[in-house]
Amino acid sequence: MIFSDAVTLAPFVAAILVAATVIVVDFIFPGRKVPALLVVFGGLALVAALVALVGQTEATAFSGGYTVDPLTTFLDMLFVIIVGLTMAFAPDYLEPRGLPVPEFAAILLFAMSGAMLIAGSADLLVLFLGLELMVLPGYVLAGYHKTDGYSTEGAIKYFLLGSFSSAIFLFGLAFVWGITGTTSIAGVSAALSQIVAGSSTLSPALGLGLALLTTGVAFKIAAVPFHYWTPDAYQGSPTPVTGYLSVGPKVGAFALIIRLFAEALGPLTMDWSIVIMVLSVLTMTLGNLVALTQDNVKRMLAYSSIAHTGYMLVGLAAYGAGQLMGMEGLLFYGAAYTFMNLGAFAVIAALQRRGGVTSNLSTFAGLIRREPALAMLMTLFLLSLTGIPPTAGFFGKFYVILAAVEAGGWLTPLAVLMMLNAAVAAFYYLRVVVYMWMRDAEGEIPVMAHGRLVWTGLAVATVLTIVLGLFPSVLLDIVGTAAAAIG
Amino acid sequence: MTAFAGLPLVSLVVFLPLLGALFVAFTPGSRPNIARYAALGFALAAWVVSLVLLVSFVAGEPGFQYAESMPWIPLFGINYAVGVDGLSLVLVVLTTTLTWISILASFSPIQNRVKEYMASFLVLEVGMIGVFVAMDLFLFYIFWELVLVPMYLIIGIWGGKNRIYATMKFVLYTLVGSLLMLVAILAVAYTYQASTGSWAGAFDVQNLTRFAATGAFGGTFGVLAFGAFFVAFAIKVPMFPFHTWLPDAHVEAPTAGSVILAGVLLKLGGYGFIRFALPLFPEAAHTWAPLIIVLSLIGIIYGAIVALVQPDLKKLVAYSSVSHMGFVTLGIFVFQQQGMQGAILQMVNHGLITGALFLLVGVIYERTHDRTIAKMGGLGARTPVYAAAFGFFVFASVGLPGLSGFVGEFLTLVGAFQTNVAAAAIATFVMILAAGYLLWMFQRVAFGEVSDFLKGLGDHLTDLRPVEAMTLVPLGALVVIFGLWPGLILDLISGSVAAALSAVQQATPVALALWR
Repeated sequence: MIFSDAVTLAPFVAAILVAATVIVVDFIFPGRKVPALLVVFGGLALVAALVALVGQTEATAFSGGYTVDPLTTFLDMLFVIIVGLTMAFAPDYLEPRGLPVPEFAAILLFAMSGAMLIAGSADLLVLFLGLELMVLPGYVLAGYHKTDGYSTEGAIKYFLLGSFSSAIFLFGLAFVWGITGTTSIAGVSAALSQIVAGSSTLSPALGLGLALLTTGVAFKIAAVPFHYWTPDAYQGSPTPVTGYLSVGPKVGAFALIIRLFAEALGPLTMDWSIVIMVLSVLTMTLGNLVALTQDNVKRMLAYSSIAHTGYMLVGLAAYGAGQLMGMEGLLFYGAAYTFMNLGAFAVIAALQRRGGVTSNLSTFAGLIRREPALAMLMTLFLLSLTGIPPTAGFFGKFYVILAAVEAGGWLTPLAVLMMLNAAVAAFYYLRVVVYMWMRDAEGEIPVMAHGRLVWTGLAVATVLTIVLGLFPSVLLDIVGTAAAAIG
Repeated sequence: MTAFAGLPLVSLVVFLPLLGALFVAFTPGSRPNIARYAALGFALAAWVVSLVLLVSFVAGEPGFQYAESMPWIPLFGINYAVGVDGLSLVLVVLTTTLTWISILASFSPIQNRVKEYMASFLVLEVGMIGVFVAMDLFLFYIFWELVLVPMYLIIGIWGGKNRIYATMKFVLYTLVGSLLMLVAILAVAYTYQASTGSWAGAFDVQNLTRFAATGAFGGTFGVLAFGAFFVAFAIKVPMFPFHTWLPDAHVEAPTAGSVILAGVLLKLGGYGFIRFALPLFPEAAHTWAPLIIVLSLIGIIYGAIVALVQPDLKKLVAYSSVSHMGFVTLGIFVFQQQGMQGAILQMVNHGLITGALFLLVGVIYERTHDRTIAKMGGLGARTPVYAAAFGFFVFASVGLPGLSGFVGEFLTLVGAFQTNVAAAAIATFVMILAAGYLLWMFQRVAFGEVSDFLKGLGDHLTDLRPVEAMTLVPLGALVVIFGLWPGLILDLISGSVAAALSAVQQATPVALALWR
């Protein structure tokens, strides 16, 4: 049925149309940001409304290649919020540097549509299409500051390693297709169940496929030891892009992991969950230890985002050990991480509104006297990233740890390790707080005005960070049904 | 009960300071006096409410009074549940008393960023009171962590030269302990859920205590979970060898920060042992008790010996805290009624006496900008009132009979003698050391010739001002009252002590089978 397909696909189609409209509007009003931003935020509201509307009923489109279930709805909403927040604080950073806002918005919206395609994919090919549609705009965005050497360097590294990993991932998909004879996620799952039931060991081809797939996604989520592109790409990118890259593609890649590992490769859970545990140990420990030594806050947050990947993998490992709560924890953590991390990057971007301001620790010296509101908000986001209650970050950790403890076995020591890691992380997050509150700036630094859009974005991130910490119940039902969709 | 039975008095005590913090945060920064008096007003209001609680509390009844409960995160059976029993109440009143005294004592020393300081102090009060009244493990943990941030700011912003190092050390030590405790809390809640099939009541302290009495948290699980709680509480107390953050934090903290640190924050650990660790893991507590008693004794001796050789007044008082708090853990882990009563009395008395000593050190530091004992001398001649006050609290700290310091240590030792004569004998011997370092310090500071250093200060060296006296008089009065009538506190806490001991006295230690 063409019509029902169209309805099911409406949010995705709308996202692409909004992106296209932004380009058209930019033709009509060249270089003007206001019309473009109106289209962006109006469009995002439209997409969100469509997501909510379509999400009322579960449906499939493209002859079963695309599906709408509570998980799709949850992730789509998250992507809309990510792009909305990014667009809220990007213009103030881009404009002083002479970087056009409308193109930025259009590229970002294309990336969002890719992520939405991943979230709704029920077929491995659609999954791969979505992945590429999500990451390709990311490469462009990383190099968006064309005249800046670091931006270009980061973009090239990101592009090269990203392309390699996509190829590796595709190779892995080919193996899975070769063994199961289908690309439908449900079909793959069914075929694998039969294979697993028939033999106790993994066939070499299947093992190789699993290894390739794991490697591919480990690159995408920046899990250690596949994280080397992250620090350079994050530090070099324009700050709003870094903020986006640290959450958007990451949540997108986790959506891919859920669709691929939890659904398609569900019968092989025993095999991949051990790998996930090892990855999680390496990722959070190394990410935190290296973050300790960073003097550049953007780079520090890059390594910290690696560590947070590790925490989310704990949730995935708990899911692999049979606890659905692990998936709920992962989803909750993803949302919490999105808001607090974007908030932190929004503050950095706001401070960098004046050209030439670096993201070194010294930029933050004495901030509480200079710009008390920004310093307070940054403190809140950093405390949330540390996991101090009552913030979203705390409840995210609470949820993941609870799932790990429930799963028991090796996951209990993993939970303890995660908490020790959180204590290590406290050191480098609080170092920024030390600079903001307890050191004085060298020389007079002019106070900057910030646009209303920036404050609105910060307010949204702040409210979400606090509300999810104090009243997590508002999200618990939603992640509950979303996680139940995969079962 | 009483006329106030229906009112949410406990929540009022907890959230009045929060309201105060918000109010203070919005006062104009150019008018610091508004922030000062507003903070004092809110702290006094909280104090008054806590006194109302104290007066209307029915001492004989077991269990919690003024209990409030409402669902918070129903999915996991987490409630906003608060209430007080005798133990909580005593510590709440201690907190509210010390808070307004500390705020008053900060009026003159803190001239920089007053508004932020006062707001931090009030938030700190919220956290401390919250820990003592929380009846839900989740809520308890939130308040426990809430204490951390304002203290971090207070030491880090208004502290001494080495403040950033000290505050980072304080936070990281505490955080390691509390994060491990979080895992243990979740493990306990999950064990309950797995065994009853429902999350309802999985974080409810009273419910879990009843559940623990069935031996549910026994065996290796109990030993490990107790270990996690132990690390968190031992760091807070602090017990040897987890004490190294304390001297740094105390020396660098502003005076009022030290007062609260010694007076209340250290008590969080002792309270945690009595309220959570013992009732939840009675068997594991027995397994751990020998180690804890040994560590307590080491702490008592080590703190005293190190205090003996300190050249810095504040550091001396800080190390004396390590020694005095050793009595608290010793008293708790002999599992005797007198021992635990003594431990609780010791917590209160240490809060009053050491708090006062830090105030007095702060007074002299404000005049001289120095705390070196060797530079002092003859204060008795120059500032007689100050020296007399100092002497009073030094004697209280030594444990002079008739003053409150004596009762706590005496009861602790009585309790210890009943189960562990060797430990009691060693601890008794160390009380002589305590007399040694405190009296020797007092002698060097107060008697003899007026030192050249003090002479050089001329008129700067004034005697105790009325405001300073106002902060010390209530503490001194309480020291005398509790010294003469310890029954005032003992009556209040008898129910809590009995409840805390009932499970642990019947339990037998877990046979350690960690490495089969």
